[in-house]
Amino acid sequence: MDKHIHHDPNDLLPIGTPRHWRSLDERAETPEARQAAHDEFKPGAMDPEDRPSTNLSRRTFLTLVGATTALAATVACDKKGRSTVVPYTKRPQEIVPGVANHYASTFPEGRRAYSVLVKTREGRPIHITGNDEHPRLKGKTSPRALSDVLRLYDPDRLRLPKISGRPSSWVEAEQTLVAALAAAKREAKPVLLLTGATTSPTRRALLKELQGAVPTLRHLAWEPSLGDAAQEGALAAYGTAVDIRPRLEKAKVILSLGADFLNGDDPEAIAAFTAKRRLSEPVATMNRLWVLEGAMSLTGTNADQRVPVRSSRLAALAFALAKELGGTANVTVPAGLPASEGISTETWTSLVHDLKAAGREAVVLCGDAMPAEAHVAAALLNNLLGSQALDIRATESLATLKDLEAVRQDMAAGKYAAALLWDVNPAYAFPKAADWKDAFGKVPTRAWIGLIEDESAAQCTLVLPEHHWLEAWGDYLDDSVLTLQQPTIGALYTSKQGEDFLLTLLKGLGATKAPDYHAYLQARWQKEVQPAGSFASFDRFFQSALHDGLVRLEGKATTAPTFKSTALADMAARAFASQPSGFELLLRPGTQVLDGRYANSSWLQELPDPITKATWGNPLSLSVADAQALGVKDGDMVELEAAGTKLRHPVILQPGQAKGTLALALGYGRKTGGVARGVGFNAFPLLALGTSDPNLQFGTKLSKARGHMDLPVTQSHHRMEGRDLVRSFSLAEFTKEAEHGHAHIEHATLYPEQSFPDHKWGMVIDLSACIGCSACSLACQSENNIPSVGPDQITKGREMHWMRIDRYYEGEIENPKVVHQPMLCQHCDAAPCENVCPVNATNHSPDGLNQMAYNRCVGTRYCANNCPYKVRRFNFLEFTADKIEPASLVYNPEVTVRPRGVMEKCTFCVQRIQDVKIRAKGDNRPIKDGEVQPACAAACPSHAIVFGDLKDPNSEVSKLAKSKRGYKVLEEVGARPAITYLADLKNPAIVSAHEGATHE
Amino acid sequence: MSKAVALPDVLREPLLTDGPMSIGGLDDQVLSATERTPPRAWFIALAITITAMTIGFGFIGYTIATGIGAWGNNSPVFWAFDIINFVFWVGIGHAGTLISAILFLFRMRWRNAIARFAEAMTIFAVMCAGIFPLIHVGRPWLAFWLFPYPNQRAIWTNFRSPLLWDVFAVSTYFSVSLMFWYLGLVPDIASMRDRTTNKWKKPIYTFLALGWHGSGRHWQHYEKAYLLLAGLATGLVLSVHSVVSFDFATSVVPGWHMTIFPPYFVAGAIFAGFSMVVIVLVVVRETMDLKNLITIRHLDVMNKVILGMSCLMGYSYAMEGFTAWYSQNTYLHHTFLNIIGGSYGWAGWLTIACNIGIPQLLWFKKCRTSYFWMILVAISVTIGMWFERFVIIVISLSQDFLPSAWRLYKPTMVDFGILLGSFGLFFTLVLIFARVLPVIATTEVKGILPGAQPETGGHHE
Repeated sequence: MDKHIHHDPNDLLPIGTPRHWRSLDERAETPEARQAAHDEFKPGAMDPEDRPSTNLSRRTFLTLVGATTALAATVACDKKGRSTVVPYTKRPQEIVPGVANHYASTFPEGRRAYSVLVKTREGRPIHITGNDEHPRLKGKTSPRALSDVLRLYDPDRLRLPKISGRPSSWVEAEQTLVAALAAAKREAKPVLLLTGATTSPTRRALLKELQGAVPTLRHLAWEPSLGDAAQEGALAAYGTAVDIRPRLEKAKVILSLGADFLNGDDPEAIAAFTAKRRLSEPVATMNRLWVLEGAMSLTGTNADQRVPVRSSRLAALAFALAKELGGTANVTVPAGLPASEGISTETWTSLVHDLKAAGREAVVLCGDAMPAEAHVAAALLNNLLGSQALDIRATESLATLKDLEAVRQDMAAGKYAAALLWDVNPAYAFPKAADWKDAFGKVPTRAWIGLIEDESAAQCTLVLPEHHWLEAWGDYLDDSVLTLQQPTIGALYTSKQGEDFLLTLLKGLGATKAPDYHAYLQARWQKEVQPAGSFASFDRFFQSALHDGLVRLEGKATTAPTFKSTALADMAARAFASQPSGFELLLRPGTQVLDGRYANSSWLQELPDPITKATWGNPLSLSVADAQALGVKDGDMVELEAAGTKLRHPVILQPGQAKGTLALALGYGRKTGGVARGVGFNAFPLLALGTSDPNLQFGTKLSKARGHMDLPVTQSHHRMEGRDLVRSFSLAEFTKEAEHGHAHIEHATLYPEQSFPDHKWGMVIDLSACIGCSACSLACQSENNIPSVGPDQITKGREMHWMRIDRYYEGEIENPKVVHQPMLCQHCDAAPCENVCPVNATNHSPDGLNQMAYNRCVGTRYCANNCPYKVRRFNFLEFTADKIEPASLVYNPEVTVRPRGVMEKCTFCVQRIQDVKIRAKGDNRPIKDGEVQPACAAACPSHAIVFGDLKDPNSEVSKLAKSKRGYKVLEEVGARPAITYLADLKNPAIVSAHEGATHE
Repeated sequence: MSKAVALPDVLREPLLTDGPMSIGGLDDQVLSATERTPPRAWFIALAITITAMTIGFGFIGYTIATGIGAWGNNSPVFWAFDIINFVFWVGIGHAGTLISAILFLFRMRWRNAIARFAEAMTIFAVMCAGIFPLIHVGRPWLAFWLFPYPNQRAIWTNFRSPLLWDVFAVSTYFSVSLMFWYLGLVPDIASMRDRTTNKWKKPIYTFLALGWHGSGRHWQHYEKAYLLLAGLATGLVLSVHSVVSFDFATSVVPGWHMTIFPPYFVAGAIFAGFSMVVIVLVVVRETMDLKNLITIRHLDVMNKVILGMSCLMGYSYAMEGFTAWYSQNTYLHHTFLNIIGGSYGWAGWLTIACNIGIPQLLWFKKCRTSYFWMILVAISVTIGMWFERFVIIVISLSQDFLPSAWRLYKPTMVDFGILLGSFGLFFTLVLIFARVLPVIATTEVKGILPGAQPETGGHHE
């Protein structure tokens, strides 16, 4: 042991221990001996004596090697995916981590602009709702606005300017285009600027300035899917292009001539229409909707009296109606007109009677795709009725296909020096796209600015990335409300907003000094928008407008265009002219994708069509009788020949469609975009150039083709099989029912009664108000991080929507009654799903929620089997968790992203409930009624979904749940759902004998 | 027992073995099979079954890697082949324990020659069945959460869930069956130990024989343990499939929610199990030269049981229809009509034909004793019982309460692959068993050989 002692070993030994010595020196304890003992193991003692001092010793070498290896290993450690979380030293204004901020902005879409509130978390927009400050929209917005946050994070977005296919810079792009414009100006050659429609006054001012700077600029505003007929009709009837807005709060009788005003695009009309249908007592104030249409529309499904008529005959019928109302003395209506279109005398007389009786409270609306003469006839009818339920405003006219064709010919002739396409896609949407491309290719300078490279961008030398609207500034005028659009996130890429780009062109031409569009907009606002003599500074005025998202322009009411009867005789003659035989093809904007501009949004693609329930595509809908005659079933391929174009297309059978009518949605069959590519078929080539109504084709040939396609539909069974699922009453039946009342089922249970100490959340869904627009589904998808699964998975039956709209037909197949029923987790008190889960992953909360613990779920799927409502959704594959930035940025951080193998379902937006609870607790106050709004209820334009605390007897939901129309779906199963449905009410003019008997 | 009365010949049990048989000869005949090199046919058969098994496990691996989406399951048919196969194999596993335990308690001595094989089949079938609950969950790596084990998260399983009862029922059934089977094997393994001269086999048999040397005390304990386990297993025969049926019967799904399910499932399980035993026994009897031990009388008796069960199944099916009509329940009514006339109506009729129609042939003694007919019936019952579960699970789920949610189900290649794999696994295990362990319980057969029992005439009543 003493080997390890460096000092004199003997020193440490206890007294009395023998002290051994190894040498005489050591015994004598000489200093040398002490030193030698001390140095026995000194460093380097083992080294050879003759080692040069510069050489490394073995030990030092090993030490260094070891240290180097350790260091190298440390340095080589992968730091990827690791980042540092550092708290803000200087906190950005307005951002509190974990707390959502809401900004008012505006979602522009052609001739419409929706004032919206954008919810942002840590600077990311994640959810969009309507702006509740807006006097007309009242916090509601269109489904496309709700969904558009997804496009912001679309991975397909263009990220850098490109010149001739190579990445470039804005400076270079601007220089190129400015040079081209200057040259065009010098040579007086025309320059094409093709854009969509807009309601922005500042953008118009800018375009005017640009026009001034480049006099040869030809600006065309084009909305490819709307068609030209409405404008032609307006020009004939009013002498100007008009924007017609129904004011249905003033209407008692509404007649729609193929007008789909309830399709979700107009939340204001939906709110006004349904406000008169949410009755608690049977009263006569309920409005009545007559729909005359060829193809089934969402409006048609909500009609009180629906009459299937070929779209081409609507004008004739409308003129006949006008005759009945005492107008158009000089128009001769062919004998037997209503009857020849299969309309019974009873129907016709009650329609006439209704219109006459309602007088000023009646309104006639005409669909965009209907022929011009129908628009004139509708204007005539409204004029005869003196309808007060319309707001007609003159507006700028849009480019028609004829205008575009003229431009195309000029381009083909080499007249154009330059062209700038801004948010339009003529290489896809122009009917003769190949011709367009040939002609466009002859323009020397071709520029394109937009969000995602499209068919048209492929042909352009300058391809420029545009801001998404959530990154841009703007203002939009809607009657007396001027809404403001502000960026809610910094630009994700090296993009610019289109206006900014035009502004730099102007600057390049030396025509302006505004630094950017923001300043330009402010300058215009300061000059024109802020009321003269206002005491507040402009900054305060602008800040307040930014906060509200809008300003009201008082006293700037424009005079409505007046009806002119000059074109009547001509139009009536056209209306009564006979049409060629064969099928009649109606080409409508896609309910979800419009003209294809939203085709890359997987949310919209996966949102079922409210009527056919088809997703991811545009099957051709035809009447059941025609399908039987042709021998085709859902998904069978047919060959369609119209406008000289042949198209192979799958069909879907549409009950209620007028015989001989085909309907097809535009906006599908795109060739670009990761999501859009190859979905559906492009119907634009079917639009006929050179006819007055390109969207309505006559003499279409249809033949059965070989092949079949499994359509991705979310509902394949359309009858209720006599089950008491959707109760639907006529007003008369409701009177009877209200007197007798419905028997309430009491269920015995072996389990102890549940107690709900504080709250018992519940919902009421008014089927009379629900029109089936599906805005709730989209809002839910956005709020709850619900994945889109794609057409293959939909075909297999694995859609993930927590909120779906069930649609049932009943009655005869030629003209069925249609009901819509939102279906979501019913949060049953005796939930069948809860007791079968072997791992307790789903259970009941003390405030009445049926909860899902995703972490605990192992995925036996037993709960879904045992759910009578089939509202549970299973992650059959990895749908969500493999998303990477930027696609993952759209996720709501308050909602867990579910991996594969896990069950999920509606939570009643528990994150929102918790948020309100925490706020209320912080303020030390009870939760106010209506303070908790699940995403679906917040988005519902018809206020059909009411959410609240059933424990509070004064809450709206409690009161509604006791309504005489109230019932629970599948109450006999005994699950005790927390959702009460209010029976659908219809107000038919004619009550048929068999209709009264049943509410299947 | 002690004071036996000699019975007239006509009441005596007939001979359970054909031809003269000595105790030593029995050992030679049965145990030598494990000592010989298997014939070529065996290797070919094994190659086929192992291939099938490998395909199945490949698809299982694929499923675990990608998710349940690899199958045809959808909403509303959240369960399909996975649970059909599970119930099917659990059903097959019923014959063994029934034969060895219940028939043992009833002193049905004819069971002795076939009990061993039937028990082995039970174990293999339950092993096949056990795979499915594990792989059918969305996150199989967390399937252990189904077991109530103490954990730091302090989360307990849900004892109200029939699926949990299933876990207990099937695992208990498996362990008891395994013990029962092994207990019966001990004396035979000891015989093999004593016979073998192979230096590799000797220690293995020695270990497995648990020191058995056939002393009186050993036999006394053995008999007692066997009796007790038989008693325990008897309850389980009835309980396990009753509990499996609770998965359906306690739910609210129309077509599942029925009180007849427990007895109906048990009868069906015996039905399917006996058919599978018949198929395998015929092959074993022929190929392993055991005609004198597994006699045609055995097969005849088995077929009578199958016929009886077929009648019970007919009653159950009729009862389903009656309940649907008598309850006046719209949903149940619809489900029943859907079984016989819906999109899957062919499956409903196939089930009825295979399970009720074809087995009626067994009323004829000729069919009960002819290979051709009995195999035909047994195979049709196996197919029919698989489709019966298809009818119960897929048809009921595809159209339940809300017509908006109705949807047809289409299996994928993966579904079929895994089904094939389960058959592969089953027959692989059967083939290996037939060559490694005595397929007939020699000790029990010795008990029924002439002269084995003390009574006059050498028979025990």
